[in-house]
Amino acid sequence: MLQYSFMQNALMVSVLISILCPFIGVFLVLRRHSMMGDTLAHSSFAGVALGIMFNFNPIISSFIFTSICGFLIELMRNYYKKYAELILVITLTLSVGIAITIISAGNIGASINTYLFGSILTVSKQELMTVFILSIITVITLIALYDKLIYITFDEEGAKIAGIKVTLINYVFALLVGATISVSIRIIGILVLSSMLAVPVATAFQLKKSFKLTLTFSIIFGFIDVIVGLISSYYINSAPGGTIALTSVFMLILVIVFKKLSLMSKKSDCSF
Amino acid sequence: MVEIKNMCFSYNGVLPFVLNNINLHIKKGDYLSILGENGSGKSTLVKIILKILKPTNGFIAIKTDKIGYVPQRFENFNSQFPITVFEVLNFHRKALGIKDIEYVYKSLKIVHMEKFAKELISNLSGGQMQKIFIARALMGEPELIILDEPSTGLDAHSQNDLYKIIKHLNTHLGITIISIEHNLRVALVNSNSILELTDGTGTIRSTKEYSMKFQEVSVNATV
Repeated sequence: MLQYSFMQNALMVSVLISILCPFIGVFLVLRRHSMMGDTLAHSSFAGVALGIMFNFNPIISSFIFTSICGFLIELMRNYYKKYAELILVITLTLSVGIAITIISAGNIGASINTYLFGSILTVSKQELMTVFILSIITVITLIALYDKLIYITFDEEGAKIAGIKVTLINYVFALLVGATISVSIRIIGILVLSSMLAVPVATAFQLKKSFKLTLTFSIIFGFIDVIVGLISSYYINSAPGGTIALTSVFMLILVIVFKKLSLMSKKSDCSF
Repeated sequence: MVEIKNMCFSYNGVLPFVLNNINLHIKKGDYLSILGENGSGKSTLVKIILKILKPTNGFIAIKTDKIGYVPQRFENFNSQFPITVFEVLNFHRKALGIKDIEYVYKSLKIVHMEKFAKELISNLSGGQMQKIFIARALMGEPELIILDEPSTGLDAHSQNDLYKIIKHLNTHLGITIISIEHNLRVALVNSNSILELTDGTGTIRSTKEYSMKFQEVSVNATV
């Protein structure tokens, strides 16, 4: 399997994605913004459509458009404080509206499908380089802002009082979400990308650990989901998006069952 | 410590004023309780002192930057957040730029919670959680601590335990306290002055004066 260069490219991108998605996802889930991932994944669809239409690198165009939508969400948060989900609906409507108009007008070919479901066959060297650079910048920024992001996620008001530049960091975070989604859509696909942001984190939550360990386990589960999903998609000849999403759900069920069993064995220990 | 003169505030400059012509003089070492019904402007006043909001009109001077804040437990954060007591305090330490990690344990010791450093915040009781937030507020060696309804949702025992600590900070460490309270008895027992806000306006009274006024009102109501 690894003798094929397309598989090598796909594996390299997958490793980066499996670190990035849960890293961003843990903050999104804890801010109760899981659906923001889904909304921005759909925004990336419009970004890709625009890129293909104007013959521009679709990953870059998706990054630019997704980041603009991320900024828009952040900006509107101040106007719809009590109706956060409404902001997502507005952004989703705008994005899907643009994407459907471009695609249905016949301005782009069938290649858009590979972004919807994910693909391992079509990751080119140029795309690999774009993904690599964007991923490295995102990971470095995330590490640099790590402490502040956790503080803001845990207690935004407290963070403001402690002197953290909350608004600026929230905008940078929107940019990081945009970058993560843009680098991930090639392999995972737009339709199931939000699962990669949320499900490994949901699995790690089951373990009830500190923040540091929750993040570590989210990345480990994300890595297993992506690699197992990718390899199985190769053997069953399907799009990797589906198998990655299914693996992540199986992993969650496995951890829940394992946890229940270990709790039951502890209870039976107590009864003696 | 805090001087406020003829201060008014309205959100986005739109009338009516949430706070109207507020005058306050809080000395170092004072313990002020702020009372008032929902929507009377208590939290807005506190946010202005914390510099989260800017007053629309009037004068405000705060003679210290060392301000600790204990948020309202149920409003501002997710109590199921996967984070340990140590992490909560340590991230605050880093945000304040304090290099010495010992400050985390020192603060926990003051509130008698040093044994809970490795515990997840979600495993703590309401009273224990509130003590952790007081420990967090103590990290920067504050001269002023502001608490937003610290006893909300706590049983009588936890409340006593909590106010013993707050009183200790005030009388032994000389920290000025401003506390939003919904319980008049707690305010009368612990603080030395009370500000009762009604529709965004009110004056500060000593606890003794307030207690007498309250008794008068009760007697008149009975008659």
